[in-house]
Amino acid sequence: MEDNKNKNEEFVERMNLNLRIQHIILFLSLIILAISGLALYFHDTWFGRFLIQLEGGIEARGKIHRFSAIVLIILSIYHVIYIVFSEEGHSEFSKLLVRLQDFKDFLTDILYTLNISPNHAEFEKYSYREKFQYWGVGVGVIIMIFTGLILWFQDIAMAVLPKWCIDLTFVIHGGAGLVIFFLLFIWHLYDVHLSPFNFPMNSVWLTGKISLDKLRKTHYKEFLKITGERK
Amino acid sequence: MKFTHFLLLILILLMPSGLNATISIQKCMICHGKPGFKKVEESGKMKELYVNFSVLENSVHKKKVCTDCHADVVEIPHRHTPEKVKCIRCHYKGNPEGAPQSDKYLEYQKSVHGRESEKGNPKAPVCQECHGNHDIRHTKDALSRVSKLNVPKTCGRCHMDIYAQYVKSIHGKSLLVEHKQDAPSCTDCHGEHNILAPEESESTVNPVNVVKTCAHCHESVDIVGKYGIETTQVSLYEHSFHGIAVKYGSKKVANCASCHGTHNILPPEDPDSPVNINNIPKTCGKPECHPGANKNYAKGKIHVNPKSRESGVIYWTGLFFKYLTILTMMALVIHILLDLNRRSKEWREQKKKP
Repeated sequence: MEDNKNKNEEFVERMNLNLRIQHIILFLSLIILAISGLALYFHDTWFGRFLIQLEGGIEARGKIHRFSAIVLIILSIYHVIYIVFSEEGHSEFSKLLVRLQDFKDFLTDILYTLNISPNHAEFEKYSYREKFQYWGVGVGVIIMIFTGLILWFQDIAMAVLPKWCIDLTFVIHGGAGLVIFFLLFIWHLYDVHLSPFNFPMNSVWLTGKISLDKLRKTHYKEFLKITGERK
Repeated sequence: MKFTHFLLLILILLMPSGLNATISIQKCMICHGKPGFKKVEESGKMKELYVNFSVLENSVHKKKVCTDCHADVVEIPHRHTPEKVKCIRCHYKGNPEGAPQSDKYLEYQKSVHGRESEKGNPKAPVCQECHGNHDIRHTKDALSRVSKLNVPKTCGRCHMDIYAQYVKSIHGKSLLVEHKQDAPSCTDCHGEHNILAPEESESTVNPVNVVKTCAHCHESVDIVGKYGIETTQVSLYEHSFHGIAVKYGSKKVANCASCHGTHNILPPEDPDSPVNINNIPKTCGKPECHPGANKNYAKGKIHVNPKSRESGVIYWTGLFFKYLTILTMMALVIHILLDLNRRSKEWREQKKKP
């Protein structure tokens, strides 16, 4: 917000094309899954009724939900393959692994925000917040796919699982879905859109590039690493 | 010539009204009061023409005379077979005859019985088939053909198979054997004059409406609750997959009757009930529902209440997610507040510098 006047800023890549496409497919499928899922979750309120009507009835709602689920499942399989078999994905993933430093950063950040300590936390490519959101969504998506498949192929699942397990799965699918919804649609969207630092939007998801100045402010260690490489 | 024609016409027009003076019951009873008075119809059937006058005297129409209803009888002996009595002569809203002020006849005309009768279906019932002829009594009169206890028999005169199923059902037994007035007879579910075929979307027993119809009693503490029958089943069903889909117009999924049966409904403890624990796999496993359903379908409560402690692990999981959601929301709000505070702090520091 305060530093956009310098037009000769230098930009570096933060999110490559492959990740950008993965991100777009992910959020499109998640938005559709959320809308069609919330419709069912809030089926007896005006909100749910509105959503169900919007989606063309209860059966169309189910079809939309399952279609987006297929997209999400394919993306997830691709993502795992990308992490495991591509060098690029592998190195990116290793930067997302949770380390002790993340907990320290979290503490430093809190102390700083509460005016207890004057020190800033300095981040590598991914801050603890970004890692938390990645893992939150990652674990969430795994739970949702697993429980969702049980509910989708209920007749097959019930060859093995008793009825109460299906009821339990239903509760987990709905509950976890709602938590992921809040985590992503409010927390993550606040971080990248509404936060004064990024308002109206952090455009990395489109351009893949971040200005060195901004990188210095948000991910100082990564900034040092990149500029160090250059020298 | 023309004048005589005109005179004749006037005479003909005036004749019925002129002669429509009431004929006393005694006169009719000269013939119709004789036991065994009958005639052979064209079809070869014997038609009983004897009228037991005491029956009429005990009916709601005791103050009426024969010609009030058999209005086409204008002379004794009458030359033609009188037409079937039309009840609507008196039974409409605004009638001056002292009949109940109601427009049930209009409801009847829209019903499946009324429409069939209008089409000329000889099997379709008109008023008399259900209410009787000379023996019409008030609905609240136990001897009325349409009193609560007699309705099943009255409907069963035509709907025999269904009657046979109904009398064995829990509803039939409770009403006919145990005389519980809260138990439903035919009309409590199907309606009375406004009865429609189950396929019609406005029928009370159409898949779209049947839940509401069952709920009328099965959600009521005053009606079924006092017999120890659970009253939460309907609302739990309404929050289940089946219930939500039915509410939004899906016709593929199970409504109450799909599992519990209709006229043959039995309590789950009964080994013949389709929802008896041993029959659940078969009931769920209908080819159009969950083919191949096994015993797993019976493991766990069907109308499960995730918000009740009795549901065990389902309840605790639901509670866990409830608090997880609340915690996430709180963390989120705290995060945003702290973040805003931090940004404003950074901004102030930056302003101070140069």
